[in-house]
Amino acid sequence: MLRYLRLYRSFLRFSFSRAMEFRVDFFFRVVMDLMFYITQIGFFAVIYGHTRELGGWDFDQTLVFISGFFLVDALHMTLFANNLWMFPFLVNKGDLDYYLLRPVSSLFFVSLREFAANSFLNLLIAMGISAYALWSYPGATPASQVLLYLALIANGAFLYYILQMLFLIPVFWLHSARGLSDVFASFTKYAERPERIYQGYVRRVLVSLLPLCLIASRPAQILFEGPDFWTLVHITSVTALFFLVLLLFWKLAVRSYSSASS
Amino acid sequence: MIHVSNLSKTFYVHKKEAGLRASLRSLFRREKVEKHAVRNVSFDVGPGEIVGLVGANGAGKTTLVKMLSGIVHPSSGEARVLGFEPWKRSNALRQQIALIMGQKASLWWDLPAADCFLLLKEIYSIPTATFDRRLRFLTETLQVAEQLTTQLRRLSLGERMKMELIATLLHAPRVVFLDEPTIGLDLAAQRSIREFLLQYREEHKPAMILTSHYMEDIETLCERILLIQEGSLVFDGPLVDVMHRYSPHKVLTAYFQNPWTAAERKQAIFPGEVIEIDQKHVRLRVPRDEISKCTKELLTRYAVADISIEESEIGDVIEEIFREGSLPGSQP
Repeated sequence: MLRYLRLYRSFLRFSFSRAMEFRVDFFFRVVMDLMFYITQIGFFAVIYGHTRELGGWDFDQTLVFISGFFLVDALHMTLFANNLWMFPFLVNKGDLDYYLLRPVSSLFFVSLREFAANSFLNLLIAMGISAYALWSYPGATPASQVLLYLALIANGAFLYYILQMLFLIPVFWLHSARGLSDVFASFTKYAERPERIYQGYVRRVLVSLLPLCLIASRPAQILFEGPDFWTLVHITSVTALFFLVLLLFWKLAVRSYSSASS
Repeated sequence: MIHVSNLSKTFYVHKKEAGLRASLRSLFRREKVEKHAVRNVSFDVGPGEIVGLVGANGAGKTTLVKMLSGIVHPSSGEARVLGFEPWKRSNALRQQIALIMGQKASLWWDLPAADCFLLLKEIYSIPTATFDRRLRFLTETLQVAEQLTTQLRRLSLGERMKMELIATLLHAPRVVFLDEPTIGLDLAAQRSIREFLLQYREEHKPAMILTSHYMEDIETLCERILLIQEGSLVFDGPLVDVMHRYSPHKVLTAYFQNPWTAAERKQAIFPGEVIEIDQKHVRLRVPRDEISKCTKELLTRYAVADISIEESEIGDVIEEIFREGSLPGSQP
């Protein structure tokens, strides 16, 4: 474990060196993500112009929820997104060869090698929006509950990564990840809305088979309503189960890897 | 250090003809074709040995190397590298092997090599003192110490390949796979890499498997070669044996006492096949077991000042073997 932390520290140093080489991209990303944040908040502001509540939440609560999703998104963009974007190319061009040769977990290496230093500023902005939303929220929330909420948001970012990776791994057999990536991008819209707007089997699917509502919506619910033992067990066990599935799927996929001709 | 027994790899590829109609048809019905990249290959490599893996393009050399380095799973057969099954990818094995591919960079082009090496230091858990000592030795031997802090994309191809070689050897691997390590390099860079590899072999005694299309690499570095053709191993033995086995001819050169006219050259009848003739000399390809008879005949028939007898070029022999598409007397 300590070895992996040391290795990750090297990834960080390495990534910051690279990011400084591309200053335009650095600022472009900040502008792009700011536009995403404004669009999302604007969308809910329009809806709350017509109703006082949505899925049982008022605008203040929805702002906390959506800023939590921004945090998940920024964490994902900073830690995983660049790596996952590159992943299908690594498989198809045979560049995964060198990742499989190194004496470290190939999944760890593929998923975390590049820390998007140029998204790090966005993470700070997302943290700022989240801090503002939590500060403005009129309900009384003890510090321990806020800490638990932040831990669940971090868990949400991890779950988001697992789900995206599960959608990308079929590239080992399909040789194109475009279709599945598009499907995953469509599904993530469900994670950007409060869980309680969904009903019946759709909601059940969104907390089990495709647990997108466990990413940001359930953590916000715990923040507003207080921790519930079984909800916490549910979130952690679903995350652990999906991680196990990812490990097994990865093992199977790497076995099928055919590399590319030299 | 490397043991391979009946190793095979079959790929399945979809066959599709050109054109829109064929593309639409392939959506519903596809013809699957088996491609036997490697067939029942067996051999062993010991410590300090550099074995040349020689074959035409698509013969299966790279697939074999990728199976032995654990990148690709075989379809059948066995292999042990340092006692491990390579495709199980145990960290204990990966810590002790290395692969360099001349056509595929392992380092990051937009960073200086020094940064990339620091990352490899962490990946292979190399203690700082050992890392510094090895890096100093490798950079000084390969004469790239001054380029360490330059971005890789600003280096020449030869310098980049030397950096790749350093990255490959920093963790002092006991087994090294070299897949076309000198491809595209100028003669001076090729020579310096060959000299370095020989020096490295002397000091560390690793088992090395080398694939190269440059016969000079094979001649300089390998005492033993594996000839691979359409996935099958057709020869495993010392380089000199290839000549005896597959080159039934020698090259006989006769230097004339006096310059020959064009008419004389046209009328002359030589024992053996004429490779080249001019005013001063003639080069003949002569069957190995008829060399003394032909020499005698030449000396009797013409005024010859000097004679030399040489083996054919190894590169020419191997090229001929692969051009003919089959190996006479080979034992798969």
